[in-house]
Amino acid sequence: MARSKTLRAPSTASLPNNLRIPSTTPSLTKSLGKHSRQALLDLALTWLDDRNITSFPPYLQSNARNDTNDEETLPYPAAETVEDVRQAYTDLQDRKGGKREVLERILEGDWRHGITLRQLAMADLRYMDDHPSSLRWTALELSRIDARQKKPVDGHLPDWSACIPRTQAATFVRALQQEISPLVKAHFHLSRSTTLPLTFLRIFILDSPYQAPRQSPQIFADSSRVIYVAFPDSCPFIYTSLSTSTGSKPAPSTSSVATDPRSLQRLVRDAVPKALSRPHERYTLKATALAAKNLPTLLALRGPGRTTAANGAFSIFADAAIEGSPLDPRPSNTVSAEEYMSGGVNGLSMEDKENLDQPNGVSNTLKRHTASGDGAGDGQDGPLLSPTSKKRRLVTHSRFGTAGGSQAPAPLDRLDIRLLDVPSTTNTADPTTTATASATQPTISLTFTGSDVIGGIRTLAELGVIDPERMPSWMTGEEGVSMAVVRGGKRLKSSV
Amino acid sequence: MVFPTRGASASPDPHEQQLDTDIQSIRAEIRTLQRRKRFLASSLLSSDSIQKLIRKPTPTLSSITDEVSPLVRAAGKHSDSNHHRIAFGTTAFPFKDPSPTAPAESLLGVRIDVCVRGGRFAKPYYVLLRRVRMRGEKELRLRVHRHTVPAFIDMARVEGVYLPFPGAGKGGDLDGDSDVEGEEGVRRGKVGGKGGNKIYVDLCVNCVKLGLSEEGQIDPSERLSPEARGGIVALAPTAVEARYVRLEWEDGRVGRFKLSNAGIVERAVVIGDDGRDKQIEDEMTGGGGRVETLLERLKERGAVAA
Repeated sequence: MARSKTLRAPSTASLPNNLRIPSTTPSLTKSLGKHSRQALLDLALTWLDDRNITSFPPYLQSNARNDTNDEETLPYPAAETVEDVRQAYTDLQDRKGGKREVLERILEGDWRHGITLRQLAMADLRYMDDHPSSLRWTALELSRIDARQKKPVDGHLPDWSACIPRTQAATFVRALQQEISPLVKAHFHLSRSTTLPLTFLRIFILDSPYQAPRQSPQIFADSSRVIYVAFPDSCPFIYTSLSTSTGSKPAPSTSSVATDPRSLQRLVRDAVPKALSRPHERYTLKATALAAKNLPTLLALRGPGRTTAANGAFSIFADAAIEGSPLDPRPSNTVSAEEYMSGGVNGLSMEDKENLDQPNGVSNTLKRHTASGDGAGDGQDGPLLSPTSKKRRLVTHSRFGTAGGSQAPAPLDRLDIRLLDVPSTTNTADPTTTATASATQPTISLTFTGSDVIGGIRTLAELGVIDPERMPSWMTGEEGVSMAVVRGGKRLKSSV
Repeated sequence: MVFPTRGASASPDPHEQQLDTDIQSIRAEIRTLQRRKRFLASSLLSSDSIQKLIRKPTPTLSSITDEVSPLVRAAGKHSDSNHHRIAFGTTAFPFKDPSPTAPAESLLGVRIDVCVRGGRFAKPYYVLLRRVRMRGEKELRLRVHRHTVPAFIDMARVEGVYLPFPGAGKGGDLDGDSDVEGEEGVRRGKVGGKGGNKIYVDLCVNCVKLGLSEEGQIDPSERLSPEARGGIVALAPTAVEARYVRLEWEDGRVGRFKLSNAGIVERAVVIGDDGRDKQIEDEMTGGGGRVETLLERLKERGAVAA
């Protein structure tokens, strides 16, 4: 803990968990200040938990005795025992107040000797659990580099499982450390998400080989130096966070191009598949043309579930919304999709149409507005519904399935489409026209942004703004991508 | 049923609130009962005895039959397809891609039902296949278009083996074969991936069973001659998972073999009055060990021995 300030030697070790950042660092206050009061209290109590107390003990009177500082000048007197500290936070929890007092108590009171890197990492991951869309994530696919084609020996079936490397967390982190240590000094923190089936790896990177870096402590709370890698359960994908804030922030002390945070991040990301590889089992990362802010979206589109390769019109299959189990005696046309999707186990949780619509926010109120504008009532089976809008609704449902609806939300915040079709041709499906198009033809790029792009397109189709029958399938989210190159309504897979 | 902490914005009167809660719970109760009624009604309609009764022409009650028939017919059809789903695990259906720019409008859907522990069925998995015409070739080939198989099963690899494209090695003909194989592959993948689902193994046992009974049906005289079946008189899985299968011969020998996920007889033990019958055991595990051909192997051996 007490690190020598005089001796510096370059090493390849990772940054230690217990490296303390002085509590007076302004950026530390800022980064902890993002949290809500409840989150701060939870964090403090986690730090004081029996399992963690040895890693980051609070400042107690025993420390104070050794200290030369004047006790009187400090606002928070050091507590006698750990139990007292715990009690203090439990008391804070019971009473109402701002988060400021909790934050000050942490930084100026119980952890006045500094916040360790691990504490900071825990705080960041807690923030991620509370705000699942705080970062922009890119989904990448792990695939094997196979030199030789494996032939299935007859009698033995080939292994159908996708390339999911099996590794232990400690082994993986050590391998990763070995990969990047010549260039990057890093701090690793591996943690399981409490809300999603994900394992987060938080990597904080520095470009100094020294154990005790000379940089100002400000750098430790620099979010552009943090990379998150998320490993979803049992699927061959990984998600990495892209730091978008690098451009806005002034570049820290280093001026060399090779050591700016962005290239360090790239280095680390390249090292991830290498660290997962083993002899005769090498992995590489492939882009999957999906980036989104929302982690549940990534889990739905590139996750372990059924929706990975069945979206848009096919989401009815993914959600098993059309047919029930083979033991269900009810003919499938008499049972509503919601009933199938909820599994039909608990009857009480299922509400009828009107009640389902109520708790949903924007999209449904929009729907309702327009429905009344058409002179039609609310609800799918309303007798007032005009035949055209009813037909439109049915077509929309057949195009979108359950996607973009309130049942299985997987909101995309951005959708980039590049159209390679010749703008003048009306018949987009004609392949000869596109083939003869010269290289100088302009292409059209479309970018949709919003809180839920596919849901928005669905709403527009329900309103009749978009013709749901003629709409190409990428508009229904069928491809499950956030960027695509489209020709003749079809996504070109090779170009992304 | 009273929630005193609820925000009192709507009605401050606690009595009214309680009435509201009561109404809500009664409504929920009604919904549950309605659902139960529907469930029971369709169970009754699709039950075997009712179906048989209704299908019998009853001239006196023709008016009732006419009135009831659409419902009953629907229920009967549904229970028929359910029987297929339960028995075969894999069923096919047509599906029309609604997309105007879709490469192939009509798709062949494959539904895979997986029985999980406890006699329940998981949500079905689907594979939608599209027909693709190869350049310069007349025949159509099937390719996987969309599927709901979880990502931990490498669908591309399954497709590469069972629906090869373009046809290298064994051609992916359109005539049933390749299709069935594709389904088979998916199912095996499912078994391998899920680990706990033994539907494929179940099926293997059924297939051996069918082999037994079919032979009996084809030629009644053969039913009496147990040599045709290698002298086996009984065959049954010993547990729900059907990992172990028990065999019984007419001469009192009993055997047991273990099946692997892939449908291969891994181990076999046959014990007669005078100890173990190693020859039969070898026959069961040898020759590739496929459970589908087990019966033939035993039959051949039986013929040689006879």
